[in-house]
Amino acid sequence: MKPSRRQVILQTLSMGAFPLVGLNAIADVANPRGRVVLVFLRGAYDGLSMLVPYGDAHYAQLRPNISIAKPNGTKASVLPLDDTFGLHPACAALLPLWQQGILAAIPCAGSPDRTRSHFDAQYHWETGKPGLSSPSAGWLNVLSGLVGQGTGLHAMGVGERSPRILSGPSPVQLVGNGVLATRAGTLAEVKTREAMQQLYAADSKLGSAMMEGAANRMSTAAMLKSSNMTSSNEQQAANNGASSAQGLALDAKHLGMLMSQNKDLRLGFLSSGGWDTHINQGNVTGLLANNLTSLANTLRQLRSAFNEPDDVVLVASEFGRTCAENGTRGTDHGHGNVMWLMGNAVQGGQWHGRWDGLSHDKLNEGRDLPVHHDFRAVFAQALSRSLGLPQGVIAKVFPGYRWDSALDGLFKA
Amino acid sequence: MKQLTSFKFMKPLRLLFETCLLLSLWGCAQAPFSNPRSASFFDGLDPQGPAAEWRAINRLSYGPTPELLANMQSVGRPKVWALQQLDAARQASLQPPQLPADMASINDGLPAIFDGARKEREARAAVPAGTRINDLVANEKRFNFQAQVEPLYYNRTQVNKAVAWRLASCSNDAIEQPLLARMTEFWFNHFNVYQLKGTVRPFAGHYAINVARAHALGKFEDLVLASAKHPAMLYYLDQWLSVSPQPARAGQSPRGLNENYARELMELHTLGVHGGYTQDDVRELARVLTGWTVSARSPEGFQFVMRQHASGPKVIMGQSISSSVQSLGVKEGEQAIRFLANHPATAQRISRRLAEYFVSDDPPQVLIDSMATVFLASSGDIYQVMKVMLNHAAFWDSANKLYRTPFDFACASLRVLNAGEDRSKWLQAFAYSAVAGQGIQNWQTPDGYAFNATTWLTPEALTRRIDFALNVARNGTERKDLYAYLSRSTLHAIAQQAPAQRMGFVLGSAELVFK
Repeated sequence: MKPSRRQVILQTLSMGAFPLVGLNAIADVANPRGRVVLVFLRGAYDGLSMLVPYGDAHYAQLRPNISIAKPNGTKASVLPLDDTFGLHPACAALLPLWQQGILAAIPCAGSPDRTRSHFDAQYHWETGKPGLSSPSAGWLNVLSGLVGQGTGLHAMGVGERSPRILSGPSPVQLVGNGVLATRAGTLAEVKTREAMQQLYAADSKLGSAMMEGAANRMSTAAMLKSSNMTSSNEQQAANNGASSAQGLALDAKHLGMLMSQNKDLRLGFLSSGGWDTHINQGNVTGLLANNLTSLANTLRQLRSAFNEPDDVVLVASEFGRTCAENGTRGTDHGHGNVMWLMGNAVQGGQWHGRWDGLSHDKLNEGRDLPVHHDFRAVFAQALSRSLGLPQGVIAKVFPGYRWDSALDGLFKA
Repeated sequence: MKQLTSFKFMKPLRLLFETCLLLSLWGCAQAPFSNPRSASFFDGLDPQGPAAEWRAINRLSYGPTPELLANMQSVGRPKVWALQQLDAARQASLQPPQLPADMASINDGLPAIFDGARKEREARAAVPAGTRINDLVANEKRFNFQAQVEPLYYNRTQVNKAVAWRLASCSNDAIEQPLLARMTEFWFNHFNVYQLKGTVRPFAGHYAINVARAHALGKFEDLVLASAKHPAMLYYLDQWLSVSPQPARAGQSPRGLNENYARELMELHTLGVHGGYTQDDVRELARVLTGWTVSARSPEGFQFVMRQHASGPKVIMGQSISSSVQSLGVKEGEQAIRFLANHPATAQRISRRLAEYFVSDDPPQVLIDSMATVFLASSGDIYQVMKVMLNHAAFWDSANKLYRTPFDFACASLRVLNAGEDRSKWLQAFAYSAVAGQGIQNWQTPDGYAFNATTWLTPEALTRRIDFALNVARNGTERKDLYAYLSRSTLHAIAQQAPAQRMGFVLGSAELVFK
């Protein structure tokens, strides 16, 4: 049998051996309903500064210089959500979403693996296989194959450098960061494309990758141009080709536009760096507060595009940070962390799962939030609700994960 | 590509076969054939022909300039040439670099660089409130450097010069020995610093030259130590602030440990994440390193402050770090670093990473083991480790493909176009590398850039590369000396183009997007 264009491209793209077994055998996913978007904060964001446990007396003690003041009605204090938690004031834009019941948090989620290496932990999150560092496809890529039963294009990421989570045998579309996404490039000319095809005549992998890339960029540029939506301010924020916390909102806007115009795209991925706050992370204002403002804007942006009944947006990071501040007004690498979910189906306006507070004996190794809920179990709930994936299929995405019924209230009945 | 890089294993195979016949031993046929690329088996390896030449010049330099290609052809034997390059790179690394005069300030003495940064702070503090600093200085054109540096822009200018030097040195052999430019990239990336982190900015060029370049082919432990004591690294991973926990004094905030550098020193610079250390070891190492900080006055830019150092015995991975002599507190850190730098896990990790950079995304374990063995036997002599690699069949095996990263491709383009001092071309190369996601010295996290095809060979990124190739090469002078190395199919496609367009297609060809 002649290999498909897709298979050929895959051989180009995948240097490691990816398991292809059984991807085409899934017929259960015939009717996906919603869309899933993951915003991944690289560098371990300080969840305790976003979902602030102001009601816990240990909080202010552990963080003498970097805690957020208890709610006092001013913009320099926590925005209370209940008696335990409140939002960082830089996230004021998220308060209405919480009050409308479409934004929820899980305070102690994470990877069961104990590593405090950013890079190892990110690899685990992106392959969906905690503890394993052997070559493996990204789980959004595997999922994309399941959604499409092995055919078509169903996942999109922002940034042309392929993140692990999208790497693997299934086709994914990558769009440039910021304004790069709006440019179709030299291959928009048919003459140039033909000449390049000739150049790659002896290398079908390069040839088909080139044609696929050209087609993607042309359609992306056309879609974004037609909506004429990029302001010069946004361009300023994100024109360096690298995704920063500041550029994230523009990337989110592009993702929303493109996924709204191509309904086959069910899975979206965004990421930003700049969250590894070892020194002077600030409190009400400062480095981290600026990033949180940008994250809040990003979520508002995503909310406007992903507001259909079964759409779910998730926010996560590879691990959390130490509960106590370190010697340099920052925080070091921790373990458990806060995950966020947003969508009409989310049982929002409340936090979910177990929370034992910040007393020393309740912390992981006496220093970090514990992981009470495996990140795979959180994603499993979302995939089940949003895409209608049965648990047996989810097990193909996250081999060996266990359904966590403590999270069964995460979505509306 | 196939016909280009086909490599003949015939000769050594026959040799082995004959040896087997002679010995007619039962084990002989089995063991070597099941593992036909072991190092000893290929002693006397002497690959010939265009494929081996193309491989050597594209992997040991960023690509063929007319002069370097002619030089290699005059030597005639690619492996001999490769080993010559290695010797030349080591020689060059022992000398200061040939910095273009207008970039020389990146290699000023460290006290002078601290001084420049201080003057920028003062100049900015003196700007009247409400003034936009950008209005005060004519925006300098990137890569066109004035003799007099505007104090307000000192740091930014240092960054731009450092980047310009990287482009100059990767593309112009009069400025830098070509293999040394590659080694500098490799080590800078291995000991990555992010040059846009505020305090790191003025030092990034000095760090590239005096850490990555100066120790590129020396002892690995010297490289780690140089990196550990350089202001760029001390600032980047916050080590300069990490002190023995101490209570707040009047008017000061309490300060204490910061684990950031200690962790990355073990995880990324030496042992690797599975190198056998624990969280307790990270903390112990952080304690060992307390008091290591920057100095604006000393020529090394480094000082050890005893009163900030955590006293008492310390144990790292079961090794007790001696701390009996108070005045020798800095020796604790040096001892710990030498221990980590010469650890077997480090030997494996460094060998693997070198092999990934020069040989394949997934290099054969037998190659890594050969390199690691010599690493340990030579106390981490990088030159000797590189020599093992160049003498190994895996380096010359056409099955071991490498896709160029954006920076690699940018440098290759400058060389193939023989851009020399054409700084408008540098600017194009700089911009391409940045938009493709590999801004020069611009990776934010300490793991450095990935070098593998899984990361960089995506359909969209390939089209971005083609855009750059066609633009930067427009009206470029044809390089007919390269045509012997291109496949018939590639040559056919190039010939269809008008002469003014041809170089773009040479750059975009499979032969040059891979290496």
